[in-house]
Amino acid sequence: MGDKTTGLFPGQIDRRDFLRAGGAAALGAAFLPGLMSSTAQAAAYSGTLNMLGWDFQPDTIKSLVAGWTAAGNPKVDVAIIPNLGYSSAIQTRLRGGDKLDLYYNFAYSSQKFIDQGWAAKLNGLPDVDKLLADMFESARARHVNVAGDIISVPYFSAVHMLHYNEKMLTDAGITTVPSTLKEIYDASKKLQSGGLASPYVAYWVKEFCEEYFHTYLLNEGITAFDDKGAPVFADDPKTEGVFAWWQSMYQEGLAPKSVLTDDPGKESAQMAQGQAAFFVLHHYFLTSIRSIGGPQSNNVKSAPIGGSNYTLQIGEVLQMGNIADADEKAAAWDLMKYYGWKDKNGKFSVFTQWAKAAGLAAPYPGFFTDPDVIAAFPSYYDLPMISKVFATGSKVVPARTLAWYPDFQAKVGDLVHPLLLGQATPKDTVAALTKAATDAQSGTGI
Amino acid sequence: MAANSMERSALSGADRAFGLRLALPAMLLLLVLLAVPTVLTILYSVHDVPPNGSSLGAFVGFKNYGVVLASPVFWRSVEVTVTFSIGFVVLSTAIGLAMAMLVNQEFVGRSLARALLIIPWATPWLVIGILWKWFADGSVGGLNAVLTQLHILSDYKEFLSDPNWALPITVLAAVWRQASFAGMLLLAGLQTLPDELGEAAAIDGATVWQRFIHIVLPWLRPVLITVTVLNVIYAFLQFDIVFAMTQGGPGDATQVLSILIYRQLFGVTHIGIGSALAVVLGLIALVGGLAVVKLLYRPEPVPI
Repeated sequence: MGDKTTGLFPGQIDRRDFLRAGGAAALGAAFLPGLMSSTAQAAAYSGTLNMLGWDFQPDTIKSLVAGWTAAGNPKVDVAIIPNLGYSSAIQTRLRGGDKLDLYYNFAYSSQKFIDQGWAAKLNGLPDVDKLLADMFESARARHVNVAGDIISVPYFSAVHMLHYNEKMLTDAGITTVPSTLKEIYDASKKLQSGGLASPYVAYWVKEFCEEYFHTYLLNEGITAFDDKGAPVFADDPKTEGVFAWWQSMYQEGLAPKSVLTDDPGKESAQMAQGQAAFFVLHHYFLTSIRSIGGPQSNNVKSAPIGGSNYTLQIGEVLQMGNIADADEKAAAWDLMKYYGWKDKNGKFSVFTQWAKAAGLAAPYPGFFTDPDVIAAFPSYYDLPMISKVFATGSKVVPARTLAWYPDFQAKVGDLVHPLLLGQATPKDTVAALTKAATDAQSGTGI
Repeated sequence: MAANSMERSALSGADRAFGLRLALPAMLLLLVLLAVPTVLTILYSVHDVPPNGSSLGAFVGFKNYGVVLASPVFWRSVEVTVTFSIGFVVLSTAIGLAMAMLVNQEFVGRSLARALLIIPWATPWLVIGILWKWFADGSVGGLNAVLTQLHILSDYKEFLSDPNWALPITVLAAVWRQASFAGMLLLAGLQTLPDELGEAAAIDGATVWQRFIHIVLPWLRPVLITVTVLNVIYAFLQFDIVFAMTQGGPGDATQVLSILIYRQLFGVTHIGIGSALAVVLGLIALVGGLAVVKLLYRPEPVPI
């Protein structure tokens, strides 16, 4: 992801989203008293804050922020730009001197933005330690760098899960939901021999291969980078096997040939229509599959992957611009806490709205036990299971936030696609990825 | 005689000054919009520019060019770019010429056909990329439907995921738009061709093909040069369609230089290397354009 070049969130604005946006406005009004209880600090700033986000439900973003302003807080000028090319666009804006108080960012860019002076460290800001204490321990490394600096707060979080068609598995005589890579391969083979041409789909476009690189390695208990960011995946004898598995899934047609360019919307539809039985991607794609209302939609459920190992926990973040004025900074921080943690009533009001809108999660244990959140998620979500995956079944891979990481991230797809196409061996791919990581760290190469 | 010559010279001097005054605003605009970015890009290409653009950074001479020229990624991208460009220039010029010849004929609905010719050109590159991504889709795409109906394909094919097909399909998508542009310019050229030339040749026994080769093509040569040079430039700078359809994939099958530059400049913000790539691409486009001019341009005979 120079960027996630396809909008990752399912679907675009439609009537349902519009109605949800209206609901968000009502929600903002409902939380007004709570919001008003401690707005003195933010209210000291009389100017307008500038916020930049990407275009997932822009009306909802604006209504949530408007709710905060309506509680006596400063005005916020919310600018929304496409998810496609967001990272490039925001870097260009900041390089051009654009003033932003807070903005969405991809977690993998967060340390780079700190290093370039585009984002401020959040150390010492009021309640920041409480915010971190509230967070799943597994998620903290995304927001706190190796030096202990707090560099961001959550915008949303998710875990890679296996979406599977329960009925298709039962009909094929598969009684246990596959979890390890081998089990998924075996189950896919069985489904394929039963007539399902390509049972497995995943978002293997170039820009997204990097997430699967980590997901599949974690599934086998391999962490790609050590705490200092050194690439250690090549040292593990199981790594080549992971890449051999990946290649086999594509070469043997267990994943469709189009999977290298398909977007998650199409893959959700394939699950809903019964053209695929497995779909590995963020947990919230269950909403997408179910809401399509295809003949198989209601048979699709989700389960953890990785067996006794791990899956990848991802999350995008909010960062604060480098703000000189103390009141303005206080106001921006107040908005960040509201948007990335809790409102003044201690409720996850913003996250609850995102849960309603698309099943997005927050990396806080309390989020999963909040009655409002539970009510916000459709009943087909197994929240205790997802919470458990967040708590003990997932890793964020701290290296993913290091300053050099975007360089590596941009190269993974270039190297994985030839593997899938049979143009490179697993061994060569492991070597090439190791070189790409070391090149990225030394800032050499293209 | 000498007085006449001086008078002409003085007049032409006044004309030149008048012309310069008229052109000055445009020249200033071009200076700001073209010269400044060009100079900056060249400057960036010899510096280690920090991602935040706060300064030029350290002067590194031709180090960035060394990195570019030593990279197999670059050379593979050059290969893709040149292949793309050859396909794009040849096909869009040839199809554009064919379309121009067609809509230059008398037939019912000619006005409508000419109007339709404008539609692809009026559609943004990015939109065409998105349209063609769906059109070439292996599951629901119309291209597969057409080819299977014509018995060219026996089964649906995933064109954009196939490294052998992805590039030709992106070329076709780009040609679909550019051919209409070429067609419009060439049609304008054809409309200046006096009917008498063709009629006289026909009376002398020239076939349709002979008239096309010996009358139409020479007549269109100036327009063809313009069209081809523009097509060469468009080909080397093509970004939108490829990005919308494949983002350079699968693998590096469609990674043209403009996408590589985008990734370096805006994705990973290696501004020095990205700028060096941009300079190299500019030079390649310049050489390509000049080569076309050299190949096609012949001085018109001066009337005595």
